[in-house]
Amino acid sequence: MAIEVCSTAFSGLGRSQAKALGYPDLPLAVVRHPFGSLSRAEIRWEAEECMGKIAAFAKQARNDRARPPGGGTDAVRLIAVADDAESVNLLFRERQWTDGLPIVPPTRERVEHMLSRSGYMPNEFIARVAPAFGEATAESIAVNAVMAGCDAEYLPVLIAAVEAISAPEFNLQGIQTTTNPSAVWLLVNGPIVSRLGMNSGINCLGQGNWANATLGRALHLVMQNIGGAIGGEMDRATMGQPGKYLFCCAENEAENPWQPVHVERGFSANDSVVTVIGAEGSLNLNTHSKDALEILRIFAETLVRPSGNDYFLCGEPWLIISPETANILSGEGLAKGDVKRSLWEQSKLPARRLTDVDLNLTRIRRIAELGEVTQDTMLPIATAAGSIGIVVCGGPGTHSMYIPSFGNTRSVSRKVRLNAYQTEP
Amino acid sequence: MANESMRVLDPIGVPSVRPQQLRKVLSGLEGKVIGFIDNGKPNFHYLVDDLEELLMQKYGVSSVVRHRKRGSVPVGDAAIKSMVDQCDAIITGSGD
Repeated sequence: MAIEVCSTAFSGLGRSQAKALGYPDLPLAVVRHPFGSLSRAEIRWEAEECMGKIAAFAKQARNDRARPPGGGTDAVRLIAVADDAESVNLLFRERQWTDGLPIVPPTRERVEHMLSRSGYMPNEFIARVAPAFGEATAESIAVNAVMAGCDAEYLPVLIAAVEAISAPEFNLQGIQTTTNPSAVWLLVNGPIVSRLGMNSGINCLGQGNWANATLGRALHLVMQNIGGAIGGEMDRATMGQPGKYLFCCAENEAENPWQPVHVERGFSANDSVVTVIGAEGSLNLNTHSKDALEILRIFAETLVRPSGNDYFLCGEPWLIISPETANILSGEGLAKGDVKRSLWEQSKLPARRLTDVDLNLTRIRRIAELGEVTQDTMLPIATAAGSIGIVVCGGPGTHSMYIPSFGNTRSVSRKVRLNAYQTEP
Repeated sequence: MANESMRVLDPIGVPSVRPQQLRKVLSGLEGKVIGFIDNGKPNFHYLVDDLEELLMQKYGVSSVVRHRKRGSVPVGDAAIKSMVDQCDAIITGSGD
């Protein structure tokens, strides 16, 4: 038997996830939110209330079976709707199947066209997507790709991204249900970038590029629809962030003086690879200095912040370095590894700058890595310098970017499976 | 507006179906082994302390097994198996 104790703000998540996993009758004992702010006496009162509920649940002779979620169908359902854009969008709005923007109706014809050159069979299993652990097949991913406006050639990239977000080390369950403003940044490397016309240069994280925009949007639609993370229900983000609509770019390999991310991770330069990162936002790193040591000092000082999950949880922070700045650093003889080491060393945060509550959490969460954490401990931003991610993107200018991580996540790379049609010159 | 019907595909796809499994009947707490999965959030360990005391003293629970997880990270399969093997009921924590 299992019982879940939820704080009030999370009871919806508890109920929704239990239902999605086939246990709609999982007993929930609800305590006050925010539980972490209660006094010791208040906790005792909550414990006594909670104990009464647990005892009552334990007396019930329960023999209900785990049920297949959602009625248990084995095919993507077809739904009839009046043949006009307004009616389709109204249907999708009412069922919470959009991100708040209009969609392209996923008709059978459009979905078949999306799949037609992908090399994937419609019912090919790709992954289970948290927190509902819905089954993503090539077809159900293609439905969301159509909705987002993707061209058919984009589908293998999206499928690789869905595989990547479903890897255990990415912790999609945490990313999708946390109160943190976590989005998935989709980074693409390799020959597919130019083939799809992706933007890796000027304004690469901004508006205007069809592939960047629709791929980023489609991935978040998959997370919402197949993963079940609807805002205010299983998605518990306090505020969210604009990157939850879309957050996608390619690496500017042509102007990168170092190894691109996918080669650094063991793939061939000729492989097309997606990397997914659990990102908490983006912060401009602007310095007009042309001195490598000064640039690194300024970058490192900007990373240091006592409200950062990377310090509490030991995360995986990323820097997007502009080609101009990367070439200054490289021109002064710094390899990518040297940049990571310098940033790691210079961005240590004195533990005394944390609040008492956050210091206690950090002690618990980083004890295996750091041993006893005291006020005098200098907290590194990541377990090791190599855990800092560095990618070169963007156009001319002095602007680089810090992408703080959710903390409890590690980026994942997957090779894009391309068939002969998609790789021909 | 056109009236003819269009057919669109459901973007949720195929709901995952897990193996059906009977939930264990508990029929009271006396003599039982109760497990706690502490979600690692502030104060939850105090709630577990108090519930453990109440379970043992007022309800005759034979023992309590605790597992503290890292916040926002799922419990590993080995830890879940260990808890399931040891416990008659498991109480998990969710939220802040």
